[in-house]
Amino acid sequence: MIGTTRDIAIPKIRQNRVTLRKTLIYCALLAAALLLAIILMSLVGSERLPTRASLCALATLGTNACGLTQDQFDILFQIRLPRILLAAAVGGSLATAGAGYQALLRNPLAEPYLLGISNGAAVGTMIALIFFGANEWVRPLLAFTGAIAATFAVYRLARGRAGATPERLILAGVIVTTFLSSVIVFVTTLMDATRIRSFTFWLLGDLSGTSKALLPVAIVIAVLGALALTFNARSLNLLMLGERDAFDLGVEVGRVRIVVFLVASLLVGSSVAASGSVGYVGLVVPHLARLSLGSDNRISIPAATLGGALFVIVADTVARTIIAPRELPVGAITALIGAPLFIYLLKRA
Amino acid sequence: MLSLTIRSIAIVTCTLLLVMSFACNSTPKQSPEGPVTRQLTDDAGRRVSLPARVTRVISLAPNLTEIVFAIGAGDRLVGRTSYCDFPPEAKAVAEVGDTRTPAIETIIGLRPQVVLVSTASQLEVFTQQLQNQHIAVFVTDPHDLEGVFRSIEQVGEILGQKEQSGLLVRKLRERASAVEKAVQGKERVRVFYQLSGEPLYTAGRDAFVTDLMRRAGAKSVTVDVPGAWPKYSNESALAARPDAIILPTGGSMGSANSEVTPALRQSPAAVQGRVYKINDDYLARPGPRAIDGLEAMARALHPDAFK
Amino acid sequence: MLEARDLTIAYDHRIAVADLTLSLRAGEITAILGPNGAGKSTLLRALNGQIPKSSGVILLDGKPLERHNRSSISRRIAVVAQEAELRFPVTVLEFVLGGRFAWAAHSGWGWETEHDLQVADAVLLETELGDLSSRLMNELSGGERQRALMARALATEAPVLLLDEPTANLDLSHQATLLKLVRSRCDQHGASAVVVTHDINLAAQFADNIILMKLGKAAHSGKPKDVLKAEVLEEVFEVRVLVDTHPITGGARITPVI
Repeated sequence: MIGTTRDIAIPKIRQNRVTLRKTLIYCALLAAALLLAIILMSLVGSERLPTRASLCALATLGTNACGLTQDQFDILFQIRLPRILLAAAVGGSLATAGAGYQALLRNPLAEPYLLGISNGAAVGTMIALIFFGANEWVRPLLAFTGAIAATFAVYRLARGRAGATPERLILAGVIVTTFLSSVIVFVTTLMDATRIRSFTFWLLGDLSGTSKALLPVAIVIAVLGALALTFNARSLNLLMLGERDAFDLGVEVGRVRIVVFLVASLLVGSSVAASGSVGYVGLVVPHLARLSLGSDNRISIPAATLGGALFVIVADTVARTIIAPRELPVGAITALIGAPLFIYLLKRA
Repeated sequence: MLSLTIRSIAIVTCTLLLVMSFACNSTPKQSPEGPVTRQLTDDAGRRVSLPARVTRVISLAPNLTEIVFAIGAGDRLVGRTSYCDFPPEAKAVAEVGDTRTPAIETIIGLRPQVVLVSTASQLEVFTQQLQNQHIAVFVTDPHDLEGVFRSIEQVGEILGQKEQSGLLVRKLRERASAVEKAVQGKERVRVFYQLSGEPLYTAGRDAFVTDLMRRAGAKSVTVDVPGAWPKYSNESALAARPDAIILPTGGSMGSANSEVTPALRQSPAAVQGRVYKINDDYLARPGPRAIDGLEAMARALHPDAFK
Repeated sequence: MLEARDLTIAYDHRIAVADLTLSLRAGEITAILGPNGAGKSTLLRALNGQIPKSSGVILLDGKPLERHNRSSISRRIAVVAQEAELRFPVTVLEFVLGGRFAWAAHSGWGWETEHDLQVADAVLLETELGDLSSRLMNELSGGERQRALMARALATEAPVLLLDEPTANLDLSHQATLLKLVRSRCDQHGASAVVVTHDINLAAQFADNIILMKLGKAAHSGKPKDVLKAEVLEEVFEVRVLVDTHPITGGARITPVI
């Protein structure tokens, strides 16, 4: 018996292999869908805005108010649009990181939260908020540090004689994530009651923080991270089928592993610093991408990035409108959508 | 065969023991130590049995600690939470933990006759445990100023200080009436209460401070939002265009929440400088100092009414 | 093509391979035999750099292995794996195209060229997988999967093939098919193959050279008729054997005497 299969779901029709043309077409479609989502979701919110005037203002990229009052203009361009763009950056980053981990660890269940990376970033962010609260640049920096530290801890824990097999990595990840969860609970209980509520909300994913300076950073990191992983996609295709085989076929395994871990930690760090832990994105979106487009990372990674952005934009729109003017944490919505979706995907196998 | 029989016997025995232990635990005994002579109904609708004279009481909320001292029964307080920092004499009383996770063993060790609890502190779970130890638990749950007055009277009744509590309530009522009279007829100021900036939290329909704001001559822009402390949308805050913003800060909160949230920085309130920082301890604790909060808000919002 | 001189590999304070010398020539199949723990697989894995050596030299086309870069080595040496980890669904064609990675202009990214596809098609034909190219790897039978692994190694167009117990999980007909493939590659394309195997009789049939390893050393090496002798085998395997001539192939036939 040669080869064992433990894949989760088999795609319905897989006729042709992935070509550059196919990739560009699908990515263009997804990008168009993303643009559409950004426009449509910015028309929706806890305050009603006149549709035509809003569309006109968006079309002119904010140079012309098109009849919107100053307040309406501010709501659209100072609050809603930045929030939607942040949702896109966070969703794209987390989905890309998830796709990278799944390929590298050869496990469709690998995900930033499960591996403890999200919690590492959260602990880093909490330290930044408590000790360097005023300086907002410290947050993504310490989040990245926390993510890297968690990655390192997971990797050291997982190293056995046979190297860090995916199973050992997942197990080590679960250990690290539960340990860090306790650290987070510990720190929150030490905090005074007034801050606990906001922290708990943030930990579940909160996109309402509008940092003018950090938004472009989040977007740039999301784009660069996705590009970095996509440019290693062919190596990841081989790594996905075994590290030894990948080495034999010419992949520089050590280098690719470091790149993926660093880039993924950066992506997770930047997302968590901006919005807390938004779960399920890194698990469900790459899975859907592979399911519909195949396992070839050259198409499934960029598709996951764009799909993740779409997913979180929609989830956040629900979070900020469903009990308006109150808000739900976006992580609750992604879990509510993501968990049943994932169960459904599992059942299809 | 034999091992199967032994296994089944073991399982049945264990199950029986388990069931019995639950049965024993779930029998509520509300009778405290000391002869039971009276029964009072608390804000949760429970009938609480108390001895005629209560000499040892524990408070598990800062507002209740303040009430106990305010009615002159501070010497009978044997336990408080770490957040109970007023009046200064309170700090000499033994700590039993914080409002969310008080130490049951410490409480029991102090042998109180009654424990005063505020549902704002989410104590349902361990209330059951205290009852199992024959310690009376009295729940107060004020939603507005009248509720505060009632809490003071209830504590007065429990501790046998009805005269002092009655006097205190009368004085506080006078001050409240004075404030309401002063702002009567004045145009209500549209106020946004910023509980915390990022993420943005405000006071909803069921918050105690909403009643205070109404009496201070304000109209809270979030008065219809369900709940007590809802997480609020930045857009809606901006669209509300409040004319004044109240920032509860200072006191035990320190310097947190001393800045207006970004979404409101262009609001009429912020632009005109009508941002008022008021001691959080006055506004967050439904106790005697709530009147100080009421007065502070009224003076800030309607300075001309107070010369 | 590929040469190892005084190769020593030690790890975990154990010496797995000691002072081993071998030299591969085009068109020849070299079988490595020996008892368990003799270091056969370690040797094989070290030949393409997967396991680092402790001392000695490995020369690929005259240059030490360390001076080649990864893709250069993969273009010259291909490993036929024993089994594939198929945790993600992949078609046979995609799988076999994986062998073209070492020829990519920009490693890590890039798309398969027309030439890549032609090589893949030829190799699929050679391994009789032409009809299955769009099927998923996990839908194949064991024998078909082994052929796919072989096809991927052949797709690299590498002149040196390393096979680690390739027949271990195959039935008789598939064993024969596989080794015939290796044989034809060596004969027609001048490839050189190193096969680690437990199957002495198969080695007797297909190998041009045999290296008998024991405790990390090359106890005996040479042509099959010189190495596969009763006294030699008994010394290496410490078991009584009967060596006679195969009535049909004329080669050695080895039977253990229990």
